[in-house]
Amino acid sequence: MPDNNKTYDPFETLHKFSLLWEKQINDFIYLWTNNNEFVKAANLGTELHSRYLESMKKNQEALASVLNLPTKSDVTNVANLTIQAEEKIEALEEQLWDLQDSVKVQAKEIEGVVEVSKDIIKLTKQLKTELVKTKKELTDTKNLHEELQEMKFEIMKLAGFKEELEALRSLMEKDPAHELTGAGTSK
Amino acid sequence: MAVNKSENTIMPNLAYERELNRWRNVLKIFTEPEPKMGHTPRVEVWRKNKSVLWHYPAKQRKFEIPLFFVYSLFNKPYILDVAPKTSVIEGLTNLGYEVYLLDWGTPGYEDKKIGLDTYIDKYLRTAVKRAIRHSGAEEITLVGYCLGGTIASIYASVADEPIKNLIVATVPIDFSAFIGPDKWAEGMRNGDLNIEHFIDVYGNIPPKFVEGMFRAIGAPIYFTNYTMLLHRAHDHRYVDKWRRMNKWTLDQVPFAGEAYRQLSTDLFKDNKLVKGEIVIGNKQADLKNIKANLFVISGSRDNLILEEQSKPIMDLVSSEDKTYIVVETGHVGLALSGLFAKIVDQWAASRSEPLN
Repeated sequence: MPDNNKTYDPFETLHKFSLLWEKQINDFIYLWTNNNEFVKAANLGTELHSRYLESMKKNQEALASVLNLPTKSDVTNVANLTIQAEEKIEALEEQLWDLQDSVKVQAKEIEGVVEVSKDIIKLTKQLKTELVKTKKELTDTKNLHEELQEMKFEIMKLAGFKEELEALRSLMEKDPAHELTGAGTSK
Repeated sequence: MAVNKSENTIMPNLAYERELNRWRNVLKIFTEPEPKMGHTPRVEVWRKNKSVLWHYPAKQRKFEIPLFFVYSLFNKPYILDVAPKTSVIEGLTNLGYEVYLLDWGTPGYEDKKIGLDTYIDKYLRTAVKRAIRHSGAEEITLVGYCLGGTIASIYASVADEPIKNLIVATVPIDFSAFIGPDKWAEGMRNGDLNIEHFIDVYGNIPPKFVEGMFRAIGAPIYFTNYTMLLHRAHDHRYVDKWRRMNKWTLDQVPFAGEAYRQLSTDLFKDNKLVKGEIVIGNKQADLKNIKANLFVISGSRDNLILEEQSKPIMDLVSSEDKTYIVVETGHVGLALSGLFAKIVDQWAASRSEPLN
Protein backbone atom coordinates (compact mmCIF):
# COMPACT_ATOMS: atom_id res chain seq x y z
CA MET A 1 0.00 0.00 0.00
CA PRO A 2 1.51 3.34 -1.00
CA ASP A 3 2.39 5.85 1.71
CA ASN A 4 0.14 8.84 1.06
CA ASN A 5 2.03 11.04 3.55
CA LYS A 6 5.32 10.75 1.68
CA THR A 7 5.79 13.70 -0.62
CA TYR A 8 7.51 13.61 -3.94
CA ASP A 9 10.90 15.30 -4.31
CA PRO A 10 11.56 15.77 -8.02
CA PHE A 11 15.28 16.39 -7.46
CA GLU A 12 15.94 13.29 -5.44
CA THR A 13 15.80 11.13 -8.54
CA LEU A 14 17.78 13.67 -10.53
CA HIS A 15 20.50 13.60 -7.90
CA LYS A 16 20.57 9.81 -7.82
CA PHE A 17 20.89 9.68 -11.60
CA SER A 18 23.52 12.42 -11.62
CA LEU A 19 25.62 10.44 -9.14
CA LEU A 20 25.39 7.46 -11.44
CA TRP A 21 26.22 9.45 -14.57
CA GLU A 22 29.06 11.26 -12.93
CA LYS A 23 30.61 8.03 -11.78
CA GLN A 24 30.21 6.43 -15.20
CA ILE A 25 31.73 9.40 -17.00
CA ASN A 26 34.65 9.61 -14.57
CA ASP A 27 35.28 5.89 -14.78
CA PHE A 28 35.31 6.20 -18.55
CA ILE A 29 37.77 9.13 -18.38
CA TYR A 30 39.91 7.15 -15.97
CA LEU A 31 40.09 4.21 -18.35
CA TRP A 32 40.65 6.52 -21.32
CA THR A 33 43.52 8.42 -19.71
CA ASN A 34 45.20 5.81 -17.56
CA ASN A 35 47.68 4.58 -20.16
CA ASN A 36 51.18 5.42 -21.33
CA GLU A 37 49.99 6.79 -24.67
CA PHE A 38 47.81 9.41 -22.97
CA VAL A 39 50.62 10.33 -20.57
CA LYS A 40 53.04 10.81 -23.46
CA ALA A 41 50.49 12.83 -25.42
CA ALA A 42 49.82 15.00 -22.35
CA ASN A 43 53.54 15.53 -21.96
CA LEU A 44 53.85 16.55 -25.62
CA GLY A 45 50.91 18.92 -25.27
CA THR A 46 52.40 20.49 -22.15
CA GLU A 47 55.78 20.88 -23.84
CA LEU A 48 54.30 22.48 -26.95
CA HIS A 49 52.20 24.82 -24.84
CA SER A 50 55.23 25.78 -22.75
CA ARG A 51 57.38 26.45 -25.83
CA TYR A 52 54.68 28.59 -27.39
CA LEU A 53 54.29 30.59 -24.21
CA GLU A 54 58.04 30.88 -23.82
CA SER A 55 58.48 32.37 -27.29
CA MET A 56 55.60 34.77 -26.58
CA LYS A 57 57.31 35.90 -23.41
CA LYS A 58 60.66 36.33 -25.12
CA ASN A 59 59.09 38.49 -27.82
CA GLN A 60 57.24 40.50 -25.21
CA GLU A 61 60.46 41.08 -23.24
CA ALA A 62 62.30 42.11 -26.42
CA LEU A 63 59.57 44.54 -27.39
CA ALA A 64 59.32 45.97 -23.88
CA SER A 65 63.08 46.44 -23.82
CA VAL A 66 63.02 48.39 -27.10
CA LEU A 67 60.14 50.57 -25.91
CA ASN A 68 61.74 50.93 -22.48
CA LEU A 69 58.67 49.54 -20.78
CA PRO A 70 58.86 47.71 -17.46
CA THR A 71 57.87 44.06 -17.54
CA LYS A 72 56.76 41.63 -14.85
CA SER A 73 60.39 40.54 -14.48
CA ASP A 74 61.32 44.11 -13.53
CA VAL A 75 58.48 44.18 -11.02
CA THR A 76 59.80 40.86 -9.66
CA ASN A 77 63.24 42.36 -9.13
CA VAL A 78 61.80 45.34 -7.27
CA ALA A 79 59.58 43.07 -5.17
CA ASN A 80 62.60 40.95 -4.28
CA LEU A 81 64.38 44.06 -3.03
CA THR A 82 61.41 44.80 -0.79
CA ILE A 83 61.49 41.26 0.57
CA GLN A 84 65.23 41.59 1.22
CA ALA A 85 64.58 44.83 3.11
CA GLU A 86 61.85 43.06 5.09
CA GLU A 87 64.26 40.27 5.98
CA LYS A 88 66.88 42.78 7.12
CA ILE A 89 64.36 44.57 9.33
CA GLU A 90 63.32 41.21 10.67
CA ALA A 91 66.93 40.32 11.48
CA LEU A 92 67.35 43.69 13.21
CA GLU A 93 64.17 43.12 15.17
CA GLU A 94 65.45 39.73 16.30
CA GLN A 95 68.73 41.33 17.36
CA LEU A 96 66.71 43.86 19.32
CA TRP A 97 64.92 40.96 20.99
CA ASP A 98 68.28 39.46 21.94
CA LEU A 99 69.37 42.81 23.31
CA GLN A 100 66.12 43.19 25.24
CA ASP A 101 66.56 39.70 26.62
CA SER A 102 70.17 40.34 27.66
CA VAL A 103 69.18 43.67 29.24
CA LYS A 104 66.45 41.84 31.16
CA VAL A 105 68.98 39.22 32.30
CA GLN A 106 71.43 41.93 33.32
CA ALA A 107 68.71 43.84 35.14
CA LYS A 108 67.90 40.68 37.05
CA GLU A 109 71.59 40.19 37.85
CA ILE A 110 71.85 43.81 39.02
CA GLU A 111 68.78 43.30 41.17
CA GLY A 112 70.55 40.30 42.68
CA VAL A 113 73.71 42.36 43.32
CA VAL A 114 71.62 45.13 44.92
CA GLU A 115 69.98 42.57 47.19
CA VAL A 116 73.40 41.22 48.23
CA SER A 117 74.68 44.80 48.76
CA LYS A 118 71.68 45.54 50.98
CA ASP A 119 72.54 42.51 53.06
CA ILE A 120 76.18 43.62 53.26
CA ILE A 121 75.15 47.12 54.37
CA LYS A 122 72.89 45.66 56.99
CA LEU A 123 75.68 43.42 58.21
CA THR A 124 78.16 46.34 58.26
CA LYS A 125 75.74 48.39 60.33
CA GLN A 126 75.37 45.51 62.72
CA LEU A 127 79.16 45.18 62.94
CA LYS A 128 79.49 48.92 63.56
CA THR A 129 77.01 48.75 66.38
CA GLU A 130 78.88 45.79 67.77
CA LEU A 131 82.16 47.70 67.44
CA VAL A 132 80.83 50.76 69.28
CA LYS A 133 79.53 48.47 71.96
CA THR A 134 82.87 46.70 72.21
CA LYS A 135 84.71 50.04 72.30
CA LYS A 136 82.52 51.19 75.16
CA GLU A 137 83.12 47.93 76.95
CA LEU A 138 86.85 48.35 76.36
CA THR A 139 86.75 51.82 77.95
CA ASP A 140 84.85 50.43 80.89
CA THR A 141 87.39 47.66 81.19
CA LYS A 142 90.22 50.26 81.14
CA ASN A 143 88.55 52.25 83.89
CA LEU A 144 88.08 49.09 85.83
CA HIS A 145 91.72 48.27 85.26
CA GLU A 146 92.79 51.69 86.57
CA GLU A 147 90.58 51.32 89.60
CA LEU A 148 92.04 47.89 90.17
CA GLN A 149 95.51 49.40 89.88
CA GLU A 150 94.60 52.03 92.43
CA MET A 151 93.13 49.38 94.65
CA LYS A 152 96.30 47.34 94.23
CA PHE A 153 98.35 50.38 95.14
CA GLU A 154 96.15 50.97 98.20
CA ILE A 155 96.47 47.33 99.14
CA MET A 156 100.23 47.58 98.73
CA LYS A 157 100.19 50.66 100.91
CA LEU A 158 98.07 48.83 103.44
CA ALA A 159 100.47 45.91 103.29
CA GLY A 160 103.39 48.32 104.11
CA PHE A 161 101.38 49.78 106.92
CA LYS A 162 100.66 46.30 108.17
CA GLU A 163 104.36 45.46 108.06
CA GLU A 164 105.19 48.58 110.11
CA LEU A 165 102.50 47.63 112.55
CA GLU A 166 103.89 44.14 112.68
CA ALA A 167 107.38 45.53 113.35
CA LEU A 168 106.07 47.74 116.07
CA ARG A 169 104.21 44.91 117.56
CA SER A 170 107.28 42.68 117.57
CA LEU A 171 109.32 45.45 119.16
CA MET A 172 106.73 45.83 121.82
CA GLU A 173 106.65 42.14 122.45
CA LYS A 174 110.48 41.90 122.80
CA ASP A 175 110.96 44.50 125.55
CA PRO A 176 107.74 45.34 127.19
CA ALA A 177 109.19 46.15 130.77
CA HIS A 178 111.97 48.40 129.53
CA GLU A 179 109.66 50.25 127.46
CA LEU A 180 107.21 50.54 130.26
CA THR A 181 109.96 51.55 132.74
CA GLY A 182 111.56 53.87 130.42
CA ALA A 183 108.26 55.27 129.82
CA GLY A 184 107.78 55.95 133.57
CA THR A 185 111.42 57.03 134.48
CA SER A 186 112.68 60.54 134.53
CA LYS A 187 116.21 61.62 135.27
CA MET B 1 1.53 21.64 3.23
CA ALA B 2 1.19 18.51 1.25
CA VAL B 3 -1.57 17.83 -1.26
CA ASN B 4 -3.13 14.43 -0.71
CA LYS B 5 -2.88 12.13 -3.62
CA SER B 6 -6.03 10.27 -4.48
CA GLU B 7 -5.54 6.73 -5.59
CA ASN B 8 -6.72 7.55 -9.12
CA THR B 9 -4.44 10.52 -9.66
CA ILE B 10 -1.12 10.05 -11.33
CA MET B 11 0.22 13.38 -10.03
CA PRO B 12 2.57 12.78 -7.10
CA ASN B 13 2.28 14.53 -3.75
CA LEU B 14 4.26 17.75 -3.78
CA ALA B 15 5.20 19.66 -0.65
CA TYR B 16 4.53 23.08 -2.12
CA GLU B 17 5.98 24.99 0.82
CA ARG B 18 9.17 23.00 0.56
CA GLU B 19 9.32 23.65 -3.19
CA LEU B 20 8.83 27.36 -2.58
CA ASN B 21 11.64 27.35 -0.02
CA ARG B 22 13.84 25.43 -2.44
CA TRP B 23 13.56 27.99 -5.21
CA ARG B 24 13.65 30.92 -2.81
CA ASN B 25 16.98 29.65 -1.47
CA VAL B 26 18.31 28.96 -4.97
CA LEU B 27 17.39 32.49 -5.98
CA LYS B 28 19.18 33.83 -2.91
CA ILE B 29 22.42 32.22 -4.10
CA PHE B 30 22.37 34.51 -7.12
CA THR B 31 21.05 37.63 -5.44
CA GLU B 32 22.52 37.70 -1.95
CA PRO B 33 26.18 38.51 -1.23
CA GLU B 34 28.56 35.67 -0.53
CA PRO B 35 28.68 34.46 3.09
CA LYS B 36 31.35 36.04 5.25
CA MET B 37 34.18 33.75 6.31
CA GLY B 38 36.69 34.19 9.07
CA HIS B 39 34.48 35.60 11.81
CA THR B 40 36.60 34.65 14.86
CA PRO B 41 38.31 37.76 16.32
CA ARG B 42 42.00 37.86 15.49
CA VAL B 43 44.99 40.17 15.51
CA GLU B 44 47.94 40.33 13.15
CA VAL B 45 51.19 39.42 14.89
CA TRP B 46 53.66 39.41 12.04
CA ARG B 47 53.70 39.87 8.28
CA LYS B 48 56.29 39.00 5.69
CA ASN B 49 55.84 39.29 1.95
CA LYS B 50 52.30 37.94 1.50
CA SER B 51 52.29 35.72 4.58
CA VAL B 52 50.56 36.79 7.77
CA LEU B 53 50.69 35.30 11.24
CA TRP B 54 47.32 35.65 12.96
CA HIS B 55 46.59 35.29 16.64
CA TYR B 56 43.16 34.15 17.81
CA PRO B 57 43.01 34.84 21.55
CA ALA B 58 41.41 32.25 23.81
CA LYS B 59 38.05 33.24 25.26
CA GLN B 60 39.46 32.30 28.64
CA ARG B 61 42.97 30.91 28.55
CA LYS B 62 43.03 27.44 30.02
CA PHE B 63 46.23 26.06 28.53
CA GLU B 64 49.78 27.33 28.71
CA ILE B 65 50.92 25.85 25.39
CA PRO B 66 49.40 27.52 22.31
CA LEU B 67 48.36 25.82 19.07
CA PHE B 68 50.07 26.85 15.84
CA PHE B 69 48.21 25.96 12.63
CA VAL B 70 50.09 25.30 9.41
CA TYR B 71 47.72 25.02 6.48
CA SER B 72 48.26 23.67 2.98
CA LEU B 73 49.81 25.76 0.21
CA PHE B 74 47.07 24.69 -2.21
CA ASN B 75 44.07 26.41 -0.65
CA LYS B 76 43.18 29.32 1.56
CA PRO B 77 43.14 28.57 5.28
CA TYR B 78 39.76 30.14 6.04
CA ILE B 79 38.27 26.65 5.86
CA LEU B 80 39.49 26.44 9.49
CA ASP B 81 37.23 29.37 10.37
CA VAL B 82 34.50 28.75 7.85
CA ALA B 83 31.28 29.42 9.77
CA PRO B 84 30.13 30.27 13.28
CA LYS B 85 29.61 27.19 15.49
CA THR B 86 31.39 24.86 13.03
CA SER B 87 34.65 26.79 12.95
CA VAL B 88 37.67 24.77 14.08
CA ILE B 89 39.51 27.85 15.33
CA GLU B 90 36.46 29.24 17.14
CA GLY B 91 35.92 25.86 18.77
CA LEU B 92 39.49 25.75 20.05
CA THR B 93 39.51 29.33 21.34
CA ASN B 94 36.25 28.60 23.16
CA LEU B 95 37.93 25.60 24.75
CA GLY B 96 40.67 27.85 26.11
CA TYR B 97 43.52 27.51 23.60
CA GLU B 98 45.57 30.39 22.28
CA VAL B 99 45.57 29.76 18.52
CA TYR B 100 48.04 31.00 15.91
CA LEU B 101 47.58 30.54 12.18
CA LEU B 102 50.16 31.12 9.49
CA ASP B 103 48.38 32.24 6.34
CA TRP B 104 50.84 31.71 3.48
CA GLY B 105 49.04 34.30 1.37
CA THR B 106 48.67 34.34 -2.40
CA PRO B 107 52.03 34.13 -4.15
CA GLY B 108 52.63 36.46 -7.07
CA TYR B 109 54.94 36.07 -10.05
CA GLU B 110 57.75 37.55 -7.94
CA ASP B 111 57.46 34.59 -5.52
CA LYS B 112 58.18 31.94 -8.14
CA LYS B 113 61.54 31.12 -6.55
CA ILE B 114 60.12 30.41 -3.11
CA GLY B 115 60.69 26.74 -2.47
CA LEU B 116 59.50 24.49 0.36
CA ASP B 117 62.86 25.06 2.08
CA THR B 118 62.35 28.84 1.98
CA TYR B 119 58.78 28.51 3.20
CA ILE B 120 59.98 26.39 6.12
CA ASP B 121 63.23 28.13 6.98
CA LYS B 122 62.34 31.76 6.40
CA TYR B 123 58.60 31.89 6.93
CA LEU B 124 57.45 29.07 9.20
CA ARG B 125 60.47 29.14 11.53
CA THR B 126 60.21 32.91 12.03
CA ALA B 127 56.46 32.69 12.52
CA VAL B 128 56.85 29.99 15.19
CA LYS B 129 59.49 32.10 16.97
CA ARG B 130 57.13 35.08 16.89
CA ALA B 131 54.21 33.02 18.18
CA ILE B 132 56.26 31.65 21.07
CA ARG B 133 57.42 35.15 22.00
CA HIS B 134 53.95 36.63 21.56
CA SER B 135 52.27 33.97 23.70
CA GLY B 136 54.92 34.07 26.43
CA ALA B 137 54.90 30.27 26.42
CA GLU B 138 57.99 28.09 26.65
CA GLU B 139 56.78 25.52 24.12
CA ILE B 140 54.31 25.21 21.25
CA THR B 141 52.02 22.69 19.57
CA LEU B 142 52.20 22.46 15.77
CA VAL B 143 49.01 21.50 13.94
CA GLY B 144 49.41 20.68 10.25
CA TYR B 145 46.52 20.02 7.89
CA CYS B 146 46.97 18.23 4.54
CA LEU B 147 50.17 19.51 2.86
CA GLY B 148 50.52 21.80 5.88
CA GLY B 149 51.06 18.61 7.88
CA THR B 150 53.90 17.59 5.56
CA ILE B 151 55.45 21.04 5.93
CA ALA B 152 54.99 20.97 9.73
CA SER B 153 56.60 17.50 9.91
CA ILE B 154 59.59 18.58 7.82
CA TYR B 155 59.98 21.67 9.98
CA ALA B 156 59.65 19.68 13.21
CA SER B 157 62.52 17.47 12.05
CA VAL B 158 64.90 20.44 11.70
CA ALA B 159 63.48 22.80 14.34
CA ASP B 160 65.57 24.34 17.10
CA GLU B 161 62.42 25.85 18.55
CA PRO B 162 60.72 24.00 21.43
CA ILE B 163 57.93 21.95 19.81
CA LYS B 164 56.12 19.98 22.45
CA ASN B 165 53.38 18.38 20.33
CA LEU B 166 52.94 17.71 16.64
CA ILE B 167 49.42 17.11 15.29
CA VAL B 168 48.98 16.21 11.62
CA ALA B 169 45.69 15.55 9.86
CA THR B 170 45.10 14.00 6.42
CA VAL B 171 48.82 14.34 5.81
CA PRO B 172 50.79 12.96 2.85
CA ILE B 173 54.13 11.60 4.11
CA ASP B 174 54.79 8.55 1.94
CA PHE B 175 54.29 9.58 -1.68
CA SER B 176 54.77 6.10 -3.09
CA ALA B 177 51.01 5.60 -2.77
CA PHE B 178 48.83 7.73 -5.07
CA ILE B 179 45.07 7.93 -5.37
CA GLY B 180 45.03 9.09 -9.03
CA PRO B 181 45.61 7.08 -12.22
CA ASP B 182 48.64 4.85 -11.70
CA LYS B 183 50.03 5.39 -15.22
CA TRP B 184 50.22 9.13 -14.52
CA ALA B 185 52.21 8.48 -11.38
CA GLU B 186 54.43 6.08 -13.31
CA GLY B 187 54.88 8.66 -16.09
CA MET B 188 55.91 11.34 -13.60
CA ARG B 189 58.37 9.01 -11.91
CA ASN B 190 60.04 7.73 -15.08
CA GLY B 191 60.10 11.14 -16.79
CA ASP B 192 57.44 10.49 -19.45
CA LEU B 193 55.46 13.35 -17.93
CA ASN B 194 57.77 16.24 -17.23
CA ILE B 195 56.45 19.62 -16.13
CA GLU B 196 59.80 21.35 -15.45
CA HIS B 197 59.57 23.49 -18.57
CA PHE B 198 55.95 24.32 -17.83
CA ILE B 199 56.90 25.54 -14.33
CA ASP B 200 59.82 27.58 -15.73
CA VAL B 201 57.60 29.35 -18.22
CA TYR B 202 54.66 30.01 -15.92
CA GLY B 203 56.69 30.86 -12.83
CA ASN B 204 53.83 29.93 -10.53
CA ILE B 205 51.23 27.25 -11.17
CA PRO B 206 48.04 29.23 -11.92
CA PRO B 207 45.00 28.53 -9.68
CA LYS B 208 43.01 27.05 -12.57
CA PHE B 209 45.73 24.46 -13.14
CA VAL B 210 45.83 23.66 -9.42
CA GLU B 211 42.06 23.17 -9.51
CA GLY B 212 42.36 21.12 -12.68
CA MET B 213 45.01 18.92 -11.10
CA PHE B 214 42.78 18.09 -8.13
CA ARG B 215 39.84 17.48 -10.45
CA ALA B 216 41.94 15.19 -12.64
CA ILE B 217 43.03 13.13 -9.64
CA GLY B 218 39.61 12.87 -8.02
CA ALA B 219 36.70 13.44 -10.39
CA PRO B 220 37.39 15.20 -13.72
CA ILE B 221 33.67 15.68 -14.27
CA TYR B 222 31.92 17.00 -11.22
CA PHE B 223 28.33 18.22 -11.22
CA THR B 224 26.65 16.24 -8.44
CA ASN B 225 27.33 19.10 -6.05
CA TYR B 226 24.78 21.13 -8.02
CA THR B 227 22.17 18.37 -8.13
CA MET B 228 22.74 17.80 -4.43
CA LEU B 229 22.13 21.51 -3.88
CA LEU B 230 18.88 21.35 -5.85
CA HIS B 231 17.84 18.27 -3.92
CA ARG B 232 18.41 19.91 -0.51
CA ALA B 233 17.91 23.58 -1.37
CA HIS B 234 14.76 23.78 0.79
CA ASP B 235 17.03 23.57 3.86
CA HIS B 236 18.59 27.04 4.27
CA ARG B 237 21.30 25.67 6.63
CA TYR B 238 22.45 23.25 3.95
CA VAL B 239 22.42 26.02 1.34
CA ASP B 240 24.56 28.22 3.58
CA LYS B 241 27.03 25.38 4.18
CA TRP B 242 27.06 24.56 0.45
CA ARG B 243 27.79 28.17 -0.46
CA ARG B 244 30.69 28.35 1.97
CA MET B 245 32.14 25.07 0.76
CA ASN B 246 31.63 26.04 -2.89
CA LYS B 247 33.32 29.40 -2.39
CA TRP B 248 36.30 27.81 -0.66
CA THR B 249 36.64 25.03 -3.27
CA LEU B 250 36.75 27.51 -6.14
CA ASP B 251 38.99 29.94 -4.26
CA GLN B 252 42.31 28.33 -5.20
CA VAL B 253 45.66 30.07 -4.88
CA PRO B 254 48.59 29.93 -7.29
CA PHE B 255 51.37 27.57 -6.21
CA ALA B 256 54.88 29.01 -6.07
CA GLY B 257 56.87 27.46 -8.94
CA GLU B 258 59.95 26.31 -7.01
CA ALA B 259 57.84 24.85 -4.24
CA TYR B 260 55.79 22.93 -6.83
CA ARG B 261 58.97 21.66 -8.49
CA GLN B 262 60.22 20.37 -5.12
CA LEU B 263 56.83 18.87 -4.35
CA SER B 264 56.69 16.98 -7.63
CA THR B 265 60.38 16.04 -7.82
CA ASP B 266 61.68 15.65 -4.26
CA LEU B 267 58.50 14.48 -2.59
CA PHE B 268 56.40 12.77 -5.27
CA LYS B 269 59.01 11.43 -7.67
CA ASP B 270 61.91 10.64 -5.32
CA ASN B 271 59.90 10.22 -2.09
CA LYS B 272 62.75 11.95 -0.23
CA LEU B 273 60.80 12.67 2.96
CA VAL B 274 60.46 9.02 3.84
CA LYS B 275 64.12 8.44 2.96
CA GLY B 276 65.22 11.40 5.10
CA GLU B 277 66.97 13.08 2.19
CA ILE B 278 65.31 16.50 2.19
CA VAL B 279 67.62 19.36 3.11
CA ILE B 280 66.32 22.53 4.77
CA GLY B 281 68.92 25.27 5.16
CA ASN B 282 71.99 23.22 6.04
CA LYS B 283 70.12 20.55 7.95
CA GLN B 284 68.90 17.18 6.81
CA ALA B 285 65.18 16.79 7.44
CA ASP B 286 65.05 13.28 8.81
CA LEU B 287 61.74 12.44 10.49
CA LYS B 288 63.57 10.38 13.11
CA ASN B 289 64.73 13.71 14.59
CA ILE B 290 61.14 14.31 15.73
CA LYS B 291 60.82 13.65 19.44
CA ALA B 292 57.68 15.72 20.06
CA ASN B 293 54.45 13.98 21.09
CA LEU B 294 52.76 12.96 17.85
CA PHE B 295 49.08 12.71 16.91
CA VAL B 296 48.09 11.59 13.41
CA ILE B 297 44.53 11.75 12.06
CA SER B 298 43.33 10.12 8.85
CA GLY B 299 39.92 10.23 7.21
CA SER B 300 38.38 6.92 6.21
CA ARG B 301 36.48 8.66 3.39
CA ASP B 302 39.39 10.84 2.27
CA ASN B 303 39.41 10.81 -1.54
CA LEU B 304 42.70 12.70 -1.82
CA ILE B 305 45.12 11.39 0.80
CA LEU B 306 45.18 7.67 1.48
CA GLU B 307 45.76 6.15 4.89
CA GLU B 308 48.88 4.48 3.49
CA GLN B 309 50.31 7.94 2.84
CA SER B 310 49.86 9.13 6.43
CA LYS B 311 50.48 6.06 8.56
CA PRO B 312 54.22 5.56 7.79
CA ILE B 313 55.08 8.64 9.88
CA MET B 314 54.31 6.55 12.98
CA ASP B 315 57.35 4.35 12.36
CA LEU B 316 59.60 7.11 11.08
CA VAL B 317 59.63 9.41 14.13
CA SER B 318 61.45 8.91 17.44
CA SER B 319 58.54 10.16 19.55
CA GLU B 320 57.67 8.00 22.54
CA ASP B 321 54.14 9.36 22.87
CA LYS B 322 52.42 8.79 19.51
CA THR B 323 48.80 8.21 18.58
CA TYR B 324 47.15 7.34 15.28
CA ILE B 325 43.41 7.48 14.68
CA VAL B 326 41.09 7.09 11.71
CA VAL B 327 37.99 9.27 11.69
CA GLU B 328 34.83 8.57 9.68
CA THR B 329 35.14 11.67 7.49
CA GLY B 330 36.45 13.02 4.19
CA HIS B 331 39.45 15.19 3.37
CA VAL B 332 37.73 18.52 3.95
CA GLY B 333 34.87 17.30 6.15
CA LEU B 334 37.14 17.13 9.18
CA ALA B 335 37.66 20.89 9.05
CA LEU B 336 34.29 21.84 7.56
CA SER B 337 32.26 20.15 10.28
CA GLY B 338 34.35 21.56 13.13
CA LEU B 339 34.98 18.00 14.33
CA PHE B 340 38.70 18.63 14.13
CA ALA B 341 38.55 21.01 17.14
CA LYS B 342 37.05 18.32 19.39
CA ILE B 343 39.53 15.69 18.23
CA VAL B 344 42.49 18.02 18.78
CA ASP B 345 41.22 19.00 22.23
CA GLN B 346 40.72 15.40 23.34
CA TRP B 347 44.35 14.62 22.63
CA ALA B 348 46.05 17.95 23.32
CA ALA B 349 44.30 18.96 26.56
CA SER B 350 46.48 16.82 28.80
CA ARG B 351 49.60 17.70 26.82
CA SER B 352 49.19 21.50 26.78
CA GLU B 353 49.94 22.28 30.44
CA PRO B 354 46.43 23.13 31.72
CA LEU B 355 46.34 26.29 33.83
CA ASN B 356 44.67 26.08 37.22
